[in-house]
Amino acid sequence: MARAQDERAREFTIFGQDPAVRDRAGRIVRARIAVPAERLDPGPRGYRVSVVDYDCTHDVLYQPADLDRGGAGRDPYASLGDDRLLRDPGFHAQHVYALVMHTLARFEAALGRHVSWSFEYGHELQVAPHAFQEANAYYSERNQGLLFGYFPGKRSHTIFSCLSHDVVVHETSHALLDGLRDRYTDPSVADQAAFHEGFADIVALLSVFSITSVLEELLRRSAARTARYRADEVWLRKSALFGLAEQMGQELQTQRGRALRNSLDIEPARDLLERDEFQPPHRRGEVLVAAVLSALVRTWAQHLRFLGADQGRRGDARAIHRIAEEGAAAAAHLLTLVIRALDYAPPIDVLFGDYLSAMLTADSEISPQEPRFKFREELLRSFARYGVPPTSDAGAGGLWQPPDADPNIEGKRPLVYERVHFESLRQDRDEVFRFLWENRATLGLYPGTYTRVMSVRPCVRVAPDGFVLRETVAEWEQMMDVRAAELRRLGLRAPKGMPPRTPIRLHGGGTLVFDEFGKLKFNVHKRLMGRGQQRKLDYLWAHGGYRADAAEARTLAPGGYFAELHRQRAL
Amino acid sequence: MPTTTKPSGPPTIRMYNVGFGDCFLLSFPYASGGDRHLLIDFGSHPNPKGAPKGFMEAIANDIKARCQGGKLAVVATHRHADHISGFTTNPKGTASGDIIRALKPEVVVQPWTEHPDAARDAHKAPALRLAAVEFHKSLAAMQSYAAALAPSLARLPAFLPGDLRARLGFIGEDAVKNVEAVKNLMTMGKRAPRYVHAGTASGLETFLPGVAIHVLGPPTLEEEPDIGSYAKKSDQYWLRRRQIALGGRGAGRARGADRPLFPGARRRAKGRFPAHAGWFVARLRLAYGDELLGIVTELDDVMNNTSIILLFEVAGQKLLFPGDAQLENWTYALKQYRKLLDGVSVYKVGHHGSLNATPKALWRIMTEGDAAVPTAQFRTLMSTLRDVHGGKQGAPTEVPRGPLVDELRQKSKLTTTLDHADFGKPQVIQI
Repeated sequence: MARAQDERAREFTIFGQDPAVRDRAGRIVRARIAVPAERLDPGPRGYRVSVVDYDCTHDVLYQPADLDRGGAGRDPYASLGDDRLLRDPGFHAQHVYALVMHTLARFEAALGRHVSWSFEYGHELQVAPHAFQEANAYYSERNQGLLFGYFPGKRSHTIFSCLSHDVVVHETSHALLDGLRDRYTDPSVADQAAFHEGFADIVALLSVFSITSVLEELLRRSAARTARYRADEVWLRKSALFGLAEQMGQELQTQRGRALRNSLDIEPARDLLERDEFQPPHRRGEVLVAAVLSALVRTWAQHLRFLGADQGRRGDARAIHRIAEEGAAAAAHLLTLVIRALDYAPPIDVLFGDYLSAMLTADSEISPQEPRFKFREELLRSFARYGVPPTSDAGAGGLWQPPDADPNIEGKRPLVYERVHFESLRQDRDEVFRFLWENRATLGLYPGTYTRVMSVRPCVRVAPDGFVLRETVAEWEQMMDVRAAELRRLGLRAPKGMPPRTPIRLHGGGTLVFDEFGKLKFNVHKRLMGRGQQRKLDYLWAHGGYRADAAEARTLAPGGYFAELHRQRAL
Repeated sequence: MPTTTKPSGPPTIRMYNVGFGDCFLLSFPYASGGDRHLLIDFGSHPNPKGAPKGFMEAIANDIKARCQGGKLAVVATHRHADHISGFTTNPKGTASGDIIRALKPEVVVQPWTEHPDAARDAHKAPALRLAAVEFHKSLAAMQSYAAALAPSLARLPAFLPGDLRARLGFIGEDAVKNVEAVKNLMTMGKRAPRYVHAGTASGLETFLPGVAIHVLGPPTLEEEPDIGSYAKKSDQYWLRRRQIALGGRGAGRARGADRPLFPGARRRAKGRFPAHAGWFVARLRLAYGDELLGIVTELDDVMNNTSIILLFEVAGQKLLFPGDAQLENWTYALKQYRKLLDGVSVYKVGHHGSLNATPKALWRIMTEGDAAVPTAQFRTLMSTLRDVHGGKQGAPTEVPRGPLVDELRQKSKLTTTLDHADFGKPQVIQI
């Protein structure tokens, strides 16, 4: 019986990774991905994404792609050949539209609510698939959009960054993360600087790995080399991860492929993050990528062993398909987990250990039994091998502890709920502030300083087994402007050599997670005063974070933060 | 004959007005054997409006006249055109570089990055030697990229504002390798050229006896890895940038702006954008300008950070000549030589008064340090020209930077070519 058409979703053809990843017959590996169905204007332009195909270098605006022409549910490029897709700017426009919307939909599904872009005015992210002839692609907050460059390749053809699955998802992830945690681009400790890039890489790679056809192609190449193979951790790592690093576009992806390869080549060690080599944000971010991918491969291998599907012979297409299908499912599961963890991460000064605790807690809340893929133990083990223990060490498994179990709060009273209204608490910042105010001592807020609630987000999350989890997530922050000379009075120490009159803005804050009855489950708290703040002060001072001209130079970086970061990484 | 052991006083400094560039002649008085003259940089770029033809030759001849009966040595702080174009020669032997060459400088001092074999000179550890080789190759590739910029700039779309084009053009041309000048600098000295980095001897000890000369920069990659950060993609990064600038073809075969990316695709008429796209198109155009500027700024910064920083101690004075050193170069000097920088009495303003070349930490040491000299005795020298580099006056990246000029005027006795209209003529600073 034919499957009933789901009118809430629409499928589009995309490239599985990029035009360099091809099958045995030399065809580009493709995939079809679902995005929320909508009535599109030419562009395509929808309710969250607007593609404007303007090429600055040639001062040309291409005719907006009309994807609804001939029927609103069609996948207009599904049956066309590779050459046509490469030559047709309409397909390029569709490619970015579909991947941005698909990534947005993944975030919204994982978080159980709509996710806003970081800019206040407007609902649509602007996307330029052929912005200019330069080897760069980046998210630009000030331009409210994603800009994809193109450039001549070494073999006389043009390289389009908009046709790389991982590049589009990577940039979209920056945009989404910026909307969810805008303080993550502030100057902070080394981990936070690395987190944006590492997280965007993780989402991009898991997005590629969740495409069965890509994994199938990578595994097939490896399986063809031996008569028999065993799909254990070593084989999967070599076939899928190293395979992708090798296959990623031979030119644009040189650097990104190299980044994946670099991640895979990191020899796990507990002191990694202390080493000079891992201080620059890019390199440090690769450790995060390595830890997550390592957990993916181990979990995938274990799952195959459990299913008895971990052996195969050359030419056995069904076995390869099964392995790929399980791998794609594992990647998709992990992708949901890493996105959902953002709601359990602190609003500022994130550490890799915080993120690990956030992942473990997020998964434990929605899936206490781990019915299919058992990621939590592997994540703990993998992060430990790379020198990242969970921040929360108070309880078993690295999970965040309920606020009553916070040993840092002395002489606290039980949380007060009497004066707050549950319904308002789910959506009203003032009501959440009232809750904070009533419980300021218990929750460990620093007394007498500026405090505000940044956001309140009600969520309905659905587990793979249909379990529904309702939560409300609110972020709050505290701020204090002081001079270096005042730090001692606050229990902090001015870094050595810092002039006493140096102005400093101290930041603290937390993420509150309420259950469906309005009871507080977690307060993921970064204190305004304390050891964490001291570490941040020392780090920023040592790395020029308080140098007035450095701040000025950062503000004046042509194109903004991500433009500069990605330009360095593009070639 | 009695040997000259030390100068009889501080040097007389001549700051020549070269438009945008540097040309300083320091004349050290010695009781016997005539004065010793040190020429620190001799370059101008672009050719300043209103400058008389042959003004660079006139400067060279003035230097020649000053050197009669004395001796000359040369310091070329780094290879930007606005610092070395005056050393250019011509086949007839009449260019400014020929005139300086004829003076037979005793020695020419340049940064380690100019050494034909930079690696061997600077490092011992194999990894660092390799890094130095890569850095050196990268500098060469950057210059080849700069050479490719000119044709690509000619193809830029009309919507990019004129001052942005001028900025791009200036930075690109400033970095283009000046083969004649480089060759001249390598061979004009009586002795083999000296290549220096932070902490090495200056190579001027025997030329300027009795003067303590400290080389505070540039650091090597071992000392300050950050100076290589912009160029860390090595030569391949810049060679690819060059290829992109040329539209994927070899030099001289650039893709024309009229050759569309998608020849068969339908386009909108020029300038006619749908209402919803107008704002974003305008933003994209600005972003495109920023992107180009970002690339050439990387190039500019790397070159500037190879600048020699020299500190002279003579007759109770401290003279600081930092070329165009920027933050990454200064970071090392400020860490290692903080005490030496306290009490500077003459400061050649770095990089023509730009944002990043006079770090606030440096300025604080010079003006508020324990040994800081009183404002009336603190001399600052700034060779610059407005509206050439860093955007129009008032732009946050303008050169010279307005707030810095205000500070210089308030907290020091500033002498600047801005107040001196005669191209080719020196301002004479007696300390």
